[in-house]
Amino acid sequence: MLWKERLHIEPQLAEEIDVFETEMRLRKEGKLDPKVFGETRLRRGIYGQRYDNGHRNNGVRVEDLHYPNPCLTKGPDTLWDAPGMQRIKIPFGGVTPSQMDTLADLAEEYSDSVIHVTTRQDFQFHFVQIDDTPDLMRRLAAVGITTREACGNSVRNVTACPLAGICRDEAFDVTPYAKACSKFLLGHPDTQGFGRKFKIAFSGCAHEACGLVNMHDMGAIAVKRVEKGIPIRGFELYVGGGLGSVPHQAKLFTTFLLEEELLPTAQAIARVFARLGEKKDRAKARVKFLVARLGIEEFRELVLEERRNMPEDSRWTNYLADVDQAGRETPLQPPSAMPLTDRPHGFEDWFSTNVYKQRHDGYVAVNVTLPLGDISSWQMRRLADIARRFCGDNVRTTVEQNILMRWVSEGELPELYRQLQSIGLGDPGAGTIVDAVACPGTDTCKLGIASSRGLAGEIRRRLATNALQMDEAVKNLRIKISGCFNSCGQHHVADIGFYGTSRTIDNHKVPHFQVVLGGKWRDNAGSYGLAIGSVPSKRVPELVDRLTQRFLKDRKRGESFQEFVQRIGKLELRDMLDRCSKIPSYHADPSYYSDWGDPRVFSLGDMGVGECAGEVVPVVQFDLVAAERMVFEGQLEMDRGRYAEADALAYRAMLQAARGLVKIEFQDVPEDPEIIVAEFRRRFFDTAIFQDQYAGGKFAQYFFQRHASPPKQHSRDQVHRTIEEAQLFIEAAYACNDRITARRVGAAYI
Amino acid sequence: MQLDRIGVKLFAVEPDSKFDIRSFIPVFHSWIQRHSMPDHLLIDVHDYSHIHHGPGILLVAHQANLSLDQAEGRLGLLYLRKQPLEGALDHRIATVLTYALQAGRLFEPEGLRFKDDEFLVFANDRLNAPNDENTSQSLTQATSAALSRLGRSGLRVTVNRSSPKERISVTAHK
Repeated sequence: MLWKERLHIEPQLAEEIDVFETEMRLRKEGKLDPKVFGETRLRRGIYGQRYDNGHRNNGVRVEDLHYPNPCLTKGPDTLWDAPGMQRIKIPFGGVTPSQMDTLADLAEEYSDSVIHVTTRQDFQFHFVQIDDTPDLMRRLAAVGITTREACGNSVRNVTACPLAGICRDEAFDVTPYAKACSKFLLGHPDTQGFGRKFKIAFSGCAHEACGLVNMHDMGAIAVKRVEKGIPIRGFELYVGGGLGSVPHQAKLFTTFLLEEELLPTAQAIARVFARLGEKKDRAKARVKFLVARLGIEEFRELVLEERRNMPEDSRWTNYLADVDQAGRETPLQPPSAMPLTDRPHGFEDWFSTNVYKQRHDGYVAVNVTLPLGDISSWQMRRLADIARRFCGDNVRTTVEQNILMRWVSEGELPELYRQLQSIGLGDPGAGTIVDAVACPGTDTCKLGIASSRGLAGEIRRRLATNALQMDEAVKNLRIKISGCFNSCGQHHVADIGFYGTSRTIDNHKVPHFQVVLGGKWRDNAGSYGLAIGSVPSKRVPELVDRLTQRFLKDRKRGESFQEFVQRIGKLELRDMLDRCSKIPSYHADPSYYSDWGDPRVFSLGDMGVGECAGEVVPVVQFDLVAAERMVFEGQLEMDRGRYAEADALAYRAMLQAARGLVKIEFQDVPEDPEIIVAEFRRRFFDTAIFQDQYAGGKFAQYFFQRHASPPKQHSRDQVHRTIEEAQLFIEAAYACNDRITARRVGAAYI
Repeated sequence: MQLDRIGVKLFAVEPDSKFDIRSFIPVFHSWIQRHSMPDHLLIDVHDYSHIHHGPGILLVAHQANLSLDQAEGRLGLLYLRKQPLEGALDHRIATVLTYALQAGRLFEPEGLRFKDDEFLVFANDRLNAPNDENTSQSLTQATSAALSRLGRSGLRVTVNRSSPKERISVTAHK
């Protein structure tokens, strides 16, 4: 018997999975183009993983991985047999105990017995064989979960504040709206023609962080109005936000969108995005670029016009008839008060960080801390049983990679804590400095540069012992880490953010992290931080200590970390970074030349060259360092409100980096910007030498664009973006120089 | 019974408190460099030491996942087969056990030894090997036969009674 025959699955879902299985067969028979199958696969949530091109640097040399079918691919340069990642969409993070049981089973049988919670409330399995995915999907479908459109150019998981419905501050519960939006847009014909992904988030209030509305393609904040004595529900709607390499703050679309207009407006936005959004250049294909290009006023007009012309659809409003019922959760136990005695050891600390008092008397929500967002199958199965006893179906994932148990009767907290402790999930510190968030980074992601999870784990280990004794101001800081500039770890909105990069020191590559300060988690990701310099990976924990100690020592009463960073200024901060930037030579201490949790000598993946004795091009290094300094000075000018000067410095930094590269081939290149741009374009862009394996030429385009079209007016927003782009251009120049160096070394060996 | 996803866990002789299992990360990497496991394409190493009673340190291969596993608080070497094997069930279990023992021996120079008189054998396939009486009998008989094949017929095989939600398992012991 097959799973297909044994399970009861909704016919439409069953058919979709059958179709995918057929597509797999066609691909295996060579009847389906790998590129087309690649997108098909992504739209089923099946992602590639590191080393799936069949090469891996084993620490000594790059080796071919000899899979059984060396010619069969599941996408361009992606081998069929290589293990991959399966993302599982969980709309608004809502999950039930029976679904948790299934997830536990699937992780054991098809993955590595670990379920990972992502920063967008999804689950992920790693090291999955594609041949197992149809059955995996069927078993999920049997408990009401689809992986459809979890990846690819589609509407991704619709996220929502995990406290929705129990929050003390919300205007109303956004859960039924998030659910309806997710269902309505899933597979909708108007969402199939995007050039890139489309992310939606819901929040019940404006001032907390939970929904992170400002960093989404479309974000809705619940707003209630009273008109003629009647309360009316609606949304403050934002569009065009996003993190990625260059973050954009969302723009206000309207201050009040009636609830009945939510779905048609989302559909109209999707139609405008599908019609006018960039298709060829992936780097410019998100809604944020379309909004930036058109301006919010024109974008709004286009959407409203689209809305007026769309044929009516009963699904737009059908769900509203029972929106209150749909969102209502049933507590498992009656409300009760917390017992004054019988509190187990460690309970008070855990209570202070992991328990949220609901607006309903006698009920609390419990945040189950998952280290690095990971939970084993064994733990998940037991957590499902614990949920069955204490909160029933009222469980959600959070964007901070934890699991929230809602509607727990307060009097049962001590026993719940005991049970969580018994399965190793009773750690305190949820949402504190110790609860560092990290994307998968070099552990499994093809784009990862440095080990974000390794660093997060190390920070967690070091802080765990004394975090709870820390001053509240430090304890409540948030650390978020990405393995590269793409911001899956949401480093831009952390108090202290990091993203992975690489530098060459002592003729060896060294994992580094750019330090991003000044981001704001609250106010729905209210503002984005800027990278102020890079630090060797192994010295980052020391930097965290220095930053937090300094904050504690010099903080003014009531001052937030963002205000503190602003007050002491980037020069001071840069000085602190510089104190952590030196490392011993490779021969004196090689440990600095490998990443956290990975003993291999650090390299940029499958470059094809070992780490030994890369030829250094000192002039280029000098120019790149100078360019970095200029970007930093640009930040200082921006902070002083001198936007034109800041913009000019960012531009000069890009020129300097480009000139440095040009000098490798043309030593006497003049300082004339026109000549630098032309030479850079001819020698590095047109030849594709500068192009990043994954980002293509987008970083060079930042440079060309700024050169061709200097801003007519300067604003903080524009300068912020140009500085960010300049930093990325310089990072790309470093990477380009590394590739050139590697090629020279290779040639020398031949 | 068409069961290929077979797991075998060897248990450490020494108490797990003696080791920081992260110190074995370089060991797994060295296996990849030296191709230490015949018939296996070794791919990558993953650190799950932060998970309570979790998979510990994982070595991902195409054919199987190997890990310094900490389930139920007992350090051991887990070999979890992912790809099909030839022969009858007892033959397949014997093959998996042989691979696990081979891998276990590779740890001896590192001071980590595994018991040779106690193994956990389980079926990692809820479709072909549901946790019921039939599977229990088949797995017990096949494990006994596999032990005989490997010259370890002195060991007894006992079914581990567990929740139907768990994977079915037996323990071979003295």
